[in-house]
Amino acid sequence: MSSEAEGWNKVLWERQPFPDNYIHPHSFLSSLRRNPNFKPYTYWPLVLLCCAITQHLATIFTFLAVFVRLKERWFDARVLLWVSIASFFGGYALYEILSCSNPVRGAFTRSNTIKSSLLVFLALMGLSPVLRTLTAATSSDSIWALSACLFLLNALLADYSSMKPRHIDPAVNSHLPCRLTSVLSMNAAISSSVVLASRLPDDLAVFVLVLFAVQLFALFPILRHRLQVTPQVAQILFTLTLCILSFALTVPLSVSVAYIYAGISITVTFVAPGVLVWAAEIQKARHFIRGPWDVAVPRLN
Amino acid sequence: MISDFFHPNVGGVENHIFMLSANLIRRGHKVIVITHSHAPDRVGVRWLLPGLKVYYIPFPTIASSATLPNYFTFLPYFRVIIAREHIHLIHAHASLSSLGQEAILHAHHLGVRTVFTDHSLFGFEDAASILTNKLLAAALKNVDAVICVSHTGRENTVLRGQLFEKSEDSSALVVRPNVYVIPNALVAEQFTPATEPVSSETIYIVVLSRLAYRKGIDLLVATAPRICSAFPNVNFIVGGDGPKLNDLLQVRERHLLQDRIELLGPVRHRDVRDVLVRGSIFLNTSLTESFGIAILEAACAGLYVVSTRVGGVPEILPHDMISFAKSEEDDLIRALSEAVAIVSKGQHDPIEAHQRVKDFYNWGEVAERTEIVYDAVIKSEQKDLWTRMQRTMELGPFAGPIYTIILVVDCLFFLLLEWLMPRHDLDFVQMHWEHNNFRQVQ
Repeated sequence: MSSEAEGWNKVLWERQPFPDNYIHPHSFLSSLRRNPNFKPYTYWPLVLLCCAITQHLATIFTFLAVFVRLKERWFDARVLLWVSIASFFGGYALYEILSCSNPVRGAFTRSNTIKSSLLVFLALMGLSPVLRTLTAATSSDSIWALSACLFLLNALLADYSSMKPRHIDPAVNSHLPCRLTSVLSMNAAISSSVVLASRLPDDLAVFVLVLFAVQLFALFPILRHRLQVTPQVAQILFTLTLCILSFALTVPLSVSVAYIYAGISITVTFVAPGVLVWAAEIQKARHFIRGPWDVAVPRLN
Repeated sequence: MISDFFHPNVGGVENHIFMLSANLIRRGHKVIVITHSHAPDRVGVRWLLPGLKVYYIPFPTIASSATLPNYFTFLPYFRVIIAREHIHLIHAHASLSSLGQEAILHAHHLGVRTVFTDHSLFGFEDAASILTNKLLAAALKNVDAVICVSHTGRENTVLRGQLFEKSEDSSALVVRPNVYVIPNALVAEQFTPATEPVSSETIYIVVLSRLAYRKGIDLLVATAPRICSAFPNVNFIVGGDGPKLNDLLQVRERHLLQDRIELLGPVRHRDVRDVLVRGSIFLNTSLTESFGIAILEAACAGLYVVSTRVGGVPEILPHDMISFAKSEEDDLIRALSEAVAIVSKGQHDPIEAHQRVKDFYNWGEVAERTEIVYDAVIKSEQKDLWTRMQRTMELGPFAGPIYTIILVVDCLFFLLLEWLMPRHDLDFVQMHWEHNNFRQVQ
C-alpha cells in the first residue's frame, strides 16, 4: 500500500497517475483535529467558582431576614441605617484597596462616587413616603408571590462570572456592567425590595430597607467581582462568614426555612460542581471537529 | 444538471454548471439544466448558446436564490421532464440547493442515476451548519457518486455527508469509493496577460472580492496602510462591493491614501481580466475558500498571488506561483513584502505563468474526468427500495424515520402521478438541437 501511495500529492494542479476517487491512506483527514480546546473540569476550582453563587444566595436570605425583622418591629430601623452606612464605607474601602492592587482605574473617580451615592441616599429619603404607600391597594399575598418570583429571576440572571486579572483592560472594564442579564437581575432585586418595603409600617424603615437593598444587590455584585481575584483563602472565609451570618439571621425566624436554605447552599456549593464534573466525564465522548475548512479568525494587531 | 443556482445569476457554481454542460455537449452528450424561475419573467424552457436546454421551474425563492425544501412539489415537474427528455443520469450541484437534493430523492423512481457535486466548505459548529449537514447527509445516503472540487472539500464533504461505511472485515470506517475529486477549471483564453509588460516602477496589488467578513477584508483594511507606508512604490486596486466597503473608505481617508488605494466598486465578470492585468500581485485574504477560482484567474492573467492558507487554496497552484500567509496581520505583511521583492526583481514571468495555468486546468479535461464518473455510475448496480429504506434508517433515531417516511410517501406520490398522468400521454421530445445543422445554415 505504501509503495503504491508514493508519489501522490495533495494538489489539484497536476494530473496524477491515480483515479479521481483515490484516497491517500495517510494524508486523508490528516489535518483533522478533534476536541482541540477541550479542558475537562476539575472539582475544587469549580467549587471555588460556585462560591459567588453561594454569596449571592446568602445576600438574598440576609435581606429577607432583615425584612421580616423590620416588619415585625423586632429591631430599630436606625440600627440598620448605621449598619448599612458602616458597611457601605467598609465595602468602599475594600473596593479601593483591591482596585489599587491592579493599575487600571474604573471610569468613576472618588468624588463622582461620593456625589452619586449622596444623590441616591437623598432620593431614597425623599421617595420613601411614596414607596411606603405604593402598593397599599394590593393584597400581601400577591406581594409575597411577586417578590419571590423577582428574587428567583435575580438569582438566575445575576452575573457570577469572575474577573480574571489578565482580562482587565479599560475597554472590557467599561463594558462589564453593561451586560443585559446582570442589569435585569439587579432591577428584579430592586423592584422586589421596593414592593416588599411597601409592606413596612413607617417611612424610616422603608428608606432603610431600600437603601440596604441597593447596597446588597447593586453595589455588592461589583465588590464581588473584585473579590474573586483575591487569594482563595480570603474568598472562602468571606463566603463562610456571609453564609453563617445569613443562617444565623434565618434560624430564629423559621427553622424549616433555615434548613431549606442550608440544603440549597450545600447543593450549590458542593453537589452541583460534582454533577458538572460527572457530566463532563460523559461528554468526553463528544466530537468537536476542526479542520482546514473552518472559517479562519483574522488576527489583527 | 440540476441546481438552484444558474444563469441569469452569476457566480462560481453557475459558471461551473454552464461550462461543464457546454463541454459535455461538445463531447456528444445531451445535457439539459433544471433550475428555478428567476424574476421577473425567466420561466419555462429556454435555450442557451451551445445548445443547452434550460427548464426554469416556477418555484419562489426564499433567500440567496435558494428554494424552500418541500420534497414533493418538485416531483410532478421532475418526472415529466426526465421522462420526456429521456434522461439517464442527473447531476445535482451545490449542497444548499434543495432542488438538487430533491432530485436525488426522486430520481430512483424513474431508474435514473444520481451524481452530486459539492462546491462549498462548511463548519460543524453553528446551528445552520448542523441543520444543512443533516439535510445533506440524508440526501447523500443514496446517491450514486459524489464529486468534490478539492481534496480539502472532499474531507469536509465526507464528514458532513457521512460518506463512510463500516468495512466488511473490521469495525474501521472506510470512505465510500464513489467520492471523487475533480477540480474546477477556467477558460484560460479569457485571462491572457497584458501584452506589454506593466511598469516595474510602481507595483499594483489587485484585490477582487466581495467586500464581506468571510473574505477577510478586515485583514486588508489592517495591512493596506502599513504596506503603503513601507513601500512607497506599491499601490492597491480594490474591486468589489459589500458591507465592508465603508471600512475601506474610512481607512483610505484616515491615512490620506486616496491616490494609493483605488476603489473600483462592483466589477463585471467580463471586465475582470482588464482589472487584473493592471497589477502584478493578486491578494486574496479570504477566511474560507473551497477552491478559489478568483486566484486561478489572477494567476492565469500573469499575476503573482498572495493568499491566506485556508481551505482548498494550498492545493490549486504550485508553490513558486503563490505565497501563503496565516490569517494574521503581521504574517500577511511578511508574505506581501516577499511578493513585492519577487515581482520587483522580475523573478515572476507573466507569460510563463499563463502557459502553466493553461496546462493545469481546462474544462475539456474536467468534462472527461466527469464522464468517467458518469460511466462508473451507469455501470454500477442500482440500489432497490428496501436497501434505500434501510440506509435511510441509519441516519439516526430521529432523522432516520422522518426521511424514511418522506421516501415512502414520495413513492406513493409517484404511483399516484403514474396513474393520474400515464407515461404514454406525455409529450416526448423528438428533436434536439443539432449543432452541425446550425453550423451548416450559418
